[in-house]
Amino acid sequence: MSDLSAPQVLKVVDAFDLDDELRSILRPGEMVRDDQGRRHRLPRYFYEIASHEVAMQTRLSQNFSLNEFILVDLKEAPRLQQYPRYVPCAVRTLAFYLQQFRAMIGLSVHIAVNGAYRSPAHKLSQHATPHMWGTAADFYRVGNNILKTKELIEKYNDAAEDLSADVTVLPYGPVPGKNADDHVHFDLGYITVVPREISEDRMEQPQESRPRFAFEERRRKDRRSPESEEVPTK
Amino acid sequence: MVAKANVAKLPVPPPRDSVASAEVSLYRNVLKIREDHSLENLGISFYDAESTIQWSYNADFYFHAASTMKLAVLLGVFRQVDRGEISLEAPVHVRNRFTSIVNQEPFMLDLGRDADPDVYGHLGKTLTVRELAYWMITKSSNLATNLLVDVIGISTIQQALDELEIDGIKVLRGVEDQAAFNAGLNNEVTANGLLKLLRLIADGKAYSQSACDEMLKIMLDQQYRGGIPAGLPKAARVAHKTGNISTVHHDAGIVYLDGRKPYVLVILTQFTPEQGRGTAVADVSRDIFNTLAGITYE
Repeated sequence: MSDLSAPQVLKVVDAFDLDDELRSILRPGEMVRDDQGRRHRLPRYFYEIASHEVAMQTRLSQNFSLNEFILVDLKEAPRLQQYPRYVPCAVRTLAFYLQQFRAMIGLSVHIAVNGAYRSPAHKLSQHATPHMWGTAADFYRVGNNILKTKELIEKYNDAAEDLSADVTVLPYGPVPGKNADDHVHFDLGYITVVPREISEDRMEQPQESRPRFAFEERRRKDRRSPESEEVPTK
Repeated sequence: MVAKANVAKLPVPPPRDSVASAEVSLYRNVLKIREDHSLENLGISFYDAESTIQWSYNADFYFHAASTMKLAVLLGVFRQVDRGEISLEAPVHVRNRFTSIVNQEPFMLDLGRDADPDVYGHLGKTLTVRELAYWMITKSSNLATNLLVDVIGISTIQQALDELEIDGIKVLRGVEDQAAFNAGLNNEVTANGLLKLLRLIADGKAYSQSACDEMLKIMLDQQYRGGIPAGLPKAARVAHKTGNISTVHHDAGIVYLDGRKPYVLVILTQFTPEQGRGTAVADVSRDIFNTLAGITYE
């Protein structure tokens, strides 16, 4: 048995160092559009989760284990359902805010499957959403209450917005992506975290003599030109 | 004179224990059951692998499929499993939110009507494809059905039916799509269509033997036994799927009896809402069992 009170150290990886398949799924650093047409750059630094046990045992905050942020179903790319798995480093920030929210309402918060990190290859990732940054969570149950009524959803939406101006929610309603009628969408926006052990000048140094992907070549050109080129999401 | 003329037109009665006699007897009994239960429509089709007798009554008439359409969903799921497109162990998010085929509006199932806490107790969590298939058939879970329809897609289900040349089953949508129902867009089946599907499964010819074995295993665990099994001896094992709404009661299954090959039987009944569901399906099942038991083969 591991000691849950002990600090757990997660390995940080630069997604550019992952194998070809993973890089093509995670698409580090690529620009994607949200449903309003705004552009956002996908995260590059991820925690590597070695096993299900590590995910279960790693606490991101007092009441949230890492496992809760990587629950997905068959809509996620099969490769990302296998360990080692990857989640953007900003997930810790989400866990921090959720912990504050939990303390504020005094009830447990249950994140839904597909409700936290979703890769760009996830079938629900039609546009850029903070889920792809690991900075949004959909929860379907608070305490013993299944969130299926307007009253309950609006009650916890209000609580989330009262917590911090950093938190955005979706109003009650039936239109996917714009409303939510069976969960609360708790959203911190597009936060990119660069872990302290990362040296950010690394991208400026040639890692190989030849780029591995066309988008890397484009990125190299991007750095020499003021206008970034955008790659649409699937 | 009139009576004599009528007698003269009757066919020569077949020997009492022959196949021909059995068919005449069955036909008479089926008409009586239809009348006794005031059925608006009755469709029957069966095939006995032991005697190779195939018999049907009104078997190409289309009925509202009710939950018998779940057999087509099961077939579609195992098509995808057999092709390696999905795994039986793949997790599926249990969420009560679906899209109508008519107006693309979202709708939710009335979980109070769907007596399957095994599935809706997992709202927000996951169940595997295997578990959903199991609850879809054995407890006729509408939630499990719609989740599986979302996973594989209606077009895949129809493709599976087309590939296996199963006519007589039309699957347009999942269940409880009220907007589609109001627009008259319903899943429909014929007795012959369901018979073909079940025969392929019984013969191990629906994609692969292992897929058929898995499907049979699930169907043998059926928990609603008021249809075909209610007309059979307790020792009979039936791999089947029922279907009920306010105006139809169906059952379609494969009957296994010791010492003989199985027979496949589909019984579809339609009645007025006022009339309600009776015991017609069980009565037909009993009659067919008794008929088969009484036949001597040349």
